[in-house]
Amino acid sequence: MKKLTKSLVALMLVLAMALGCVSAAGAEPKHAKIGVAFYQDTGYAVVATKAYLESLSEALNVEFVYTVLTQTDEAANVAAIQNLISAGVDGIICTMDLGTNAIIEECEMAGVYLAGYLCDYDVSYTQNFDRVFKSEYFLGTATDGQNPDDTTIGHTMLSSLLEYNARAEKPLTHVSMAIFPAWAFPSQETGAKQFVEDVAKYNETNDPDILVDELDPALDVLMFTQMDTTYFSKHTGIDGIISFAAGTSFVYPTMVQAGVDKDIRLFTTGFEGGEENNFGTKGTQTFQQNMVSAVESITYPLVLILNKVNGVTFPDMPETAERISTSQFCINSDEDLDAFMHSIYYTGNAADAMFTPEQVLNMTAFGNPDATYAALRDLLAHMTIEDLAK
Amino acid sequence: MTTKTNPAEKRSSFPAFLGRHVYDIAAYAGLAATLILFLIFGGSRLAYNAQAVLQTSAPTIIIALGAVFVYSMGYMDVSVGQQVGVYAILMIMIINAVGGALGVVLGFLAVLALALLCGAFNGAVAVWLKLPSIVTSLFLMFFFTGAQFLLMESTGTNSISVPTSLLRPADRGAYNLLLVVIIVAVALAVTYFFRFSKLGKYTRGIGANETATAQSGVATTRWKVIAYMAFGACVALGTYVMLMRTGSAGKGTGTGYAMDIMICLILGGMPLSGGMKSKVSSALVGTLTYVLLTNDLTTMGVDLNMINFVKALIFIVIILITCRRRGGVLPR
Repeated sequence: MKKLTKSLVALMLVLAMALGCVSAAGAEPKHAKIGVAFYQDTGYAVVATKAYLESLSEALNVEFVYTVLTQTDEAANVAAIQNLISAGVDGIICTMDLGTNAIIEECEMAGVYLAGYLCDYDVSYTQNFDRVFKSEYFLGTATDGQNPDDTTIGHTMLSSLLEYNARAEKPLTHVSMAIFPAWAFPSQETGAKQFVEDVAKYNETNDPDILVDELDPALDVLMFTQMDTTYFSKHTGIDGIISFAAGTSFVYPTMVQAGVDKDIRLFTTGFEGGEENNFGTKGTQTFQQNMVSAVESITYPLVLILNKVNGVTFPDMPETAERISTSQFCINSDEDLDAFMHSIYYTGNAADAMFTPEQVLNMTAFGNPDATYAALRDLLAHMTIEDLAK
Repeated sequence: MTTKTNPAEKRSSFPAFLGRHVYDIAAYAGLAATLILFLIFGGSRLAYNAQAVLQTSAPTIIIALGAVFVYSMGYMDVSVGQQVGVYAILMIMIINAVGGALGVVLGFLAVLALALLCGAFNGAVAVWLKLPSIVTSLFLMFFFTGAQFLLMESTGTNSISVPTSLLRPADRGAYNLLLVVIIVAVALAVTYFFRFSKLGKYTRGIGANETATAQSGVATTRWKVIAYMAFGACVALGTYVMLMRTGSAGKGTGTGYAMDIMICLILGGMPLSGGMKSKVSSALVGTLTYVLLTNDLTTMGVDLNMINFVKALIFIVIILITCRRRGGVLPR
């Protein structure tokens, strides 16, 4: 009888454990509501990001609400964040570092997590690190390209220029530059200096020399307005423009207006749509390089927030929030453009995303007990045009 | 001798009462409706939402209270947003330059002096040059737009800030209480001056019939200037309250305040043509309705990008219901 009782108890224990395992394995992620605060409400990147997020909704059991921030009004940004919190979000992905001190205070007050996307949070990083990056509610940010202290865009620009020169009948030998102001994009100023230094080194051992015009603070620093037509009077004789600033919106229209779009080649960042008609060997051939961040880099803040909502963490999760440089699609040729035109960034179709919902679930600590922070970071470094073409 | 009102008279007086107070009833009904929705849909974040509504509405309420003096004359000021922006930047610059509590006091006093000066300019120039007041405020709007841009350019950054701990209590409860105290104090002061002093009496008189008011021996120019200066004082205080919330300012700070103030006052039942029916309560009722409406639409799950569209629809309906046809509704 005693033996039978022991056996029954043991059997019950085994059953209970088995049931526990089954229920744990089939456990749904907690329902989460995440607010996404964009820098604008239209454009390829916004449409594609929304499509990507919505495709993850079911697998991750997450619902998204969207809003738009402003680049100039902190109070408006705080109000927008308060509205998201009122809407019941568990976490917010923010694309702008403006009013962040007040925003993080709101998040702490409401128990809502904050993370960044396409933003280096440089003001917070350099001036309010303790307040923002050490807050338990700020989880980190995925930068649009490189962080100011991790800049390589100058090297990339020269590499693209040399790649063009290698295939072109008439190589480019005289270029000028355009950047956004350093207070908004410090990495662009660093990148411009890097480009000038790289060209100087190149000229030491190669012919013909490439001449780079010095940055003119009055004309070459674009205050988020289109380039002035006097740019071409200042930079006479150029055959290429290296625009670290978003060239499609701020440089190309002025080139067309000045009638130089057939004569000057543009190497730039940010794909706005329409470039494909004049890219590489097509049309006026104005665009010879374009760099954009993959919209899938939003996976980084998303996974970090969802881990928190589900009460789990990576074993190697750093104590202090980090800002992560993301690799970019660097489109240098017709073949690259063709690959890019099959990406979610261009098509807006979630089926073209680099990650499936199951893969993203697998990146989370609640979907995969073996998932690590290092692996998540590594993924951000592998979203290049070569990865896209695979 | 006492007189008795017969039931028939009572019946006829009720529709008359409704007719007399339809705008007030509509305004208070709007506030009640938004409040009920706020309580229903607030859910687990009701307390957070309440303090968010308080913090969002506080600067607007204070500026709208000051605007009552201007709107009661049938005038308006479209430069208020740019004024708020420049005052916020100046206040931060002074606080950062001087430092500590002294910097805060000096910053506020400097901005107050500038706001009073602008108020005087706005009122006086409109009278002396016989211009519609909106024209002088348009001039100020362009002036302050340029000033805001140049000030921010001189800093070489997109945003300047001071620690909020210099401007308000660190404890959220104490901060919220301070906001309530400021709102109540400003509301009482404005109510006193608007209801029981010559300022309110004359501004309402100017709004109802400026010629008749002037012919009654009232120095209308002087009272117009004083009304604009009172508004300026509230703009300065409202700017400080706004800074308490964010501690920072930039090129776009203050954007939209002019339109928000007008919308809030209209929602609260303020006739845009001014006059004797102007009320201080318009500022409180209208602003709370406006802010609560945004919060309600958010908590009800309306797409955040659709909220402005819904608010515009509601606003146009209210205008159609409450617009006073006599004398028109547009400001003079």
